[in-house]
Amino acid sequence: MKFETAEISESGKIYYDLFSLRTVNPQFFKTSHFQIFLILFTIHYTTFTFAQTPNQIINTVNQRFSKVNDYTADVNVKCEIPSIKIDAINAKVIYRKPDKFKIKSTGILILPKQKVNFLFTTIADTTQYTAVKTGEELIGTVKSQVVNVIPNKDTSDLILGKFWIDAVRGLVLKSQLTTKSQGTILIENTYGNMLEYGLPDKMLFTIETQKFKLPKALSMDINTSKKDAVADDGKGRITLVLTRYVVNKGVSSEELK
Amino acid sequence: MWPLAKIELYKIFRRGRSYIGFVALAVIVAVIQLALYVDGANYVQFFIQQLEQSFNIQGKIINGNLVAYIILQTLVIQMPLLVALVTGDLLSGEAATGTIRLLATKPISRSNVVYAKFFAGSVYTLALVIWLGIISLLIGLMIFGRGDLIVLNSEQVSILRAEDTLWRFGGAMMIAFLSLTVITTFSMMLSAFTDNSIGPIVATIAVVIIFTIIGTMEFPLFEKTNPFLFTTHMIVWRSMFAEPLPLNQLLISVSVLTGHIIIFLGITLYYFNRKDILN
Repeated sequence: MKFETAEISESGKIYYDLFSLRTVNPQFFKTSHFQIFLILFTIHYTTFTFAQTPNQIINTVNQRFSKVNDYTADVNVKCEIPSIKIDAINAKVIYRKPDKFKIKSTGILILPKQKVNFLFTTIADTTQYTAVKTGEELIGTVKSQVVNVIPNKDTSDLILGKFWIDAVRGLVLKSQLTTKSQGTILIENTYGNMLEYGLPDKMLFTIETQKFKLPKALSMDINTSKKDAVADDGKGRITLVLTRYVVNKGVSSEELK
Repeated sequence: MWPLAKIELYKIFRRGRSYIGFVALAVIVAVIQLALYVDGANYVQFFIQQLEQSFNIQGKIINGNLVAYIILQTLVIQMPLLVALVTGDLLSGEAATGTIRLLATKPISRSNVVYAKFFAGSVYTLALVIWLGIISLLIGLMIFGRGDLIVLNSEQVSILRAEDTLWRFGGAMMIAFLSLTVITTFSMMLSAFTDNSIGPIVATIAVVIIFTIIGTMEFPLFEKTNPFLFTTHMIVWRSMFAEPLPLNQLLISVSVLTGHIIIFLGITLYYFNRKDILN
């Protein structure tokens, strides 16, 4: 039996060496010690082959997004924030590698502090953080790997990032960012047409919000009685629905102004 | 009745004092517009910094709609004073100059005199409101452009889309007119009680200031009395910018304001018809 070593895995090479040894000392291979060793060796390498390191899991996402040089998309922004009343609004998202990003709209937009592409900029450089795999969870029906990301520099606003990654497809299904400035932010992604590039169709941001309070004299809210308290769970939700993606067709600097 | 109303209008608009309100409004609006043009970003930043701690707010925040709204808010207290300046001596001014005796001897009913003065006072008030609309909204839109309107209340922020604002400003102006008509009739009523011009003007201004201060104080006692003060309902024009529109509150306040107008006018008619004109 002859293998092309360039095509086989590390475990395969060891098997190859062992079988080559068989021709030299056939008696050794008949001992029970060797048979136990062979079973353990096989179990170990089978597990090793399928288990990925946290960085490998993250790189499945990075590889997918690395295909994107630029994109534009229409976005519908809907806000459900206890102390803010605002109608949904349509806007246009423009991105160009590595970090040029713009949202254009005709009206006032309330957006999360994180840009839509924050995910990829956060996890792109694996040398900037330490990744730890903490388990597996089902997001809907999809099995996801849970990876915690801790920035190496303590100057970063991010304290801890927790990512639920579909390692098979290389997609971040959910992320939870604990930041110094904004507390905890939960982002849930839904994918559709742009699966190939890892671009979501829908992003739901759940953000911790403070109760808005302005003195009556400043808001000129005079002669008004106290209104019934608005149901407030201390969380604001912003939903971005992204449609009509145009990927890698070029984005000019003019568009990003 | 119409010739009498025309005479009353002529009397109002030929007096220099009647134009103080228009000039004052123009100056106030121009000053606010200039200040917002130069330093509007910092001014607005002060109000929205709480929101910016959690969110990223994008878009043209300083625009003609916001400037007009800020001007309307600023003028909540001043406008009644400008109205009272003219309507406060509609009857007492005649008494002070001695022309009321001449007027009362004419073959017209005293009620018609009151109605004519009320009509003329209302036209003056309407002119003032239209003038405010022109200089605050139209000029504001010309200078600052169109845009979404951020409405800041003490506990909530509403952001109204630009295309959703014009009819609200129209409604707000109509309610402002109704509110100021309350001042017109109130000052006219006080004016019927006295024979000097200054008294009703000062008394009207004092009542508006006192009621407004009571309305600003957040004491439980005043929470109970506020619904009975006409100044509480005078600022209901702000509700035109609430989303969803509080129709019930608007209807109640409009009814209360209309009720005040009827009561003040009724008292004026009752008193003036029975008044002994001795001067």
